[in-house]
Amino acid sequence: MSNTQEFKIGTDLYSIPADRFYGRENHMWASFDHVTGNVTIGMDALGLAALGDLAYVSLQPAGTKVERGESLGTLEAAKMTGDLTSPISGEIVERNDLTVRNPALVNQETYTNGWLVVIKPSNWENESAQMVNVDELPAWVDSELKRYRQQGWID
Amino acid sequence: MDLRLIIQDNVTASFGLSADEVIGERVGTGESVPTLRLYTYKSHCGLVGRFQNIQNELRLDFCKENNITVNRRPTGGGAIIMGDGQLGLALMLPGQAEDTYSRARDLMSTLSEGIIKGLNELGVNAQFHNKNDIMVNGRKIVGTGIHRAHSGSLLFHASTLVDLDVKLMLQVLNTPLEKISDKLVSAITERITTVRRELGRDIPLEDVRQAIARNYASTLNLELVAGQYTADELQAISKTESEKYLSDEWIYQTSTVEDKFGGAKFKTPVGLLDIRVAMAGETLKAVYIGGDFFAEESAVAEMEGALRWHASQPEKVSATLAKVYQRREKDFNGLPLEAIQETTLKAIANAVLVGTLENANPYDPSAS
Repeated sequence: MSNTQEFKIGTDLYSIPADRFYGRENHMWASFDHVTGNVTIGMDALGLAALGDLAYVSLQPAGTKVERGESLGTLEAAKMTGDLTSPISGEIVERNDLTVRNPALVNQETYTNGWLVVIKPSNWENESAQMVNVDELPAWVDSELKRYRQQGWID
Repeated sequence: MDLRLIIQDNVTASFGLSADEVIGERVGTGESVPTLRLYTYKSHCGLVGRFQNIQNELRLDFCKENNITVNRRPTGGGAIIMGDGQLGLALMLPGQAEDTYSRARDLMSTLSEGIIKGLNELGVNAQFHNKNDIMVNGRKIVGTGIHRAHSGSLLFHASTLVDLDVKLMLQVLNTPLEKISDKLVSAITERITTVRRELGRDIPLEDVRQAIARNYASTLNLELVAGQYTADELQAISKTESEKYLSDEWIYQTSTVEDKFGGAKFKTPVGLLDIRVAMAGETLKAVYIGGDFFAEESAVAEMEGALRWHASQPEKVSATLAKVYQRREKDFNGLPLEAIQETTLKAIANAVLVGTLENANPYDPSAS
């Protein structure tokens, strides 16, 4: 994909594909399916670079209604546990049990088999407008990397 | 800003864990003040990390027979034993929204500073190692874990080993090690340390507590104020304790990530290498490097520590082993790095589900 942003941390190469939206603070990606109208949610490479390898993931079951900013589930990486926050509002229609059984998938196949949930959105137009879009992507990736370096999270 | 200091001894794990969760959440919403709780739990209890399968981490029959209570922390990390020789620490601070995915390992280092400086002040040469552990010359002395509450606040848990009954710990924790022999107890004793051992004297736990409290206040630049829970807090703690930390639903919940144990042996020119691994899915929870070779135990402990909660992909494991080996090569006394790498990878490849361990042979006969 020509617009994919790539960056290196140490010797590891990470990518941020331009075909989806990104949560500015929570580093969740959201990919809209024009056929079903549903949105697939996952974690982006910048979030994962900060967290490290995921050891455990738990996800809310299908049928759960979430508001933007509410918890989709919890994760553990490097002995830290915390919420996975939803970048959009709606109802979870599917969760990826494969990632619950094998959280390494989120790190290894971040934008494909490592997805977390599918949400039937209730306010996609407004909420996606608040996320990082293709035009903003290069500047956002640069500023996030700069912030990570300033905080000393990456070299 | 003030940092409330709450000191408690001989409390139950269910109360303590509930207090940490409730105060942690309330600190994030501004209902409670930043708090440092320094405590001991009623001897003894076995605590597992947030997502661990308790039946795979603790020997529940032994715990029941010996009146050892069990519970589940909201923080990550592995299973531990707590009692009157282990100083527990819970630090509850408001978080910052932009830190949502800040590097856990760096947070761990920042939040561990008060303990490290406190131990240093007492004369214990504690240092941060592998971005995850507090060690003294390669030997683990403090275990840590973090939970970020939904309100954005941080709960940092630590257990400082002022003293430790290693045999009891091995009886409580389920490990891929064979029968608990005197030899095994003395080997593990050499890879863990305690404040009393480092100082060579029976220092009162209270002295350790005060040193750590003082150093948290100075490293966080907060004013330490001795305090207690408010009536509101106690009510909320009691509710969470009965609904969550005393419920089987929380304590005995299971994860679908499969626990696996594996092992491999290899005859090297300097002795037999016997490596065991405990894994959660594709993550290494613990690695035990044993055998009859002669090496500095602290170097072996440092290598084991570097692989705790580590990805199991061969290239990552080999790189981490090489990094520790380069630093401590002379302490391995000729034990070849390649043998350690190959045997560790073989142990990982041989890993089988914990429940089926008795029926499986985790060893590759060709390797021994």
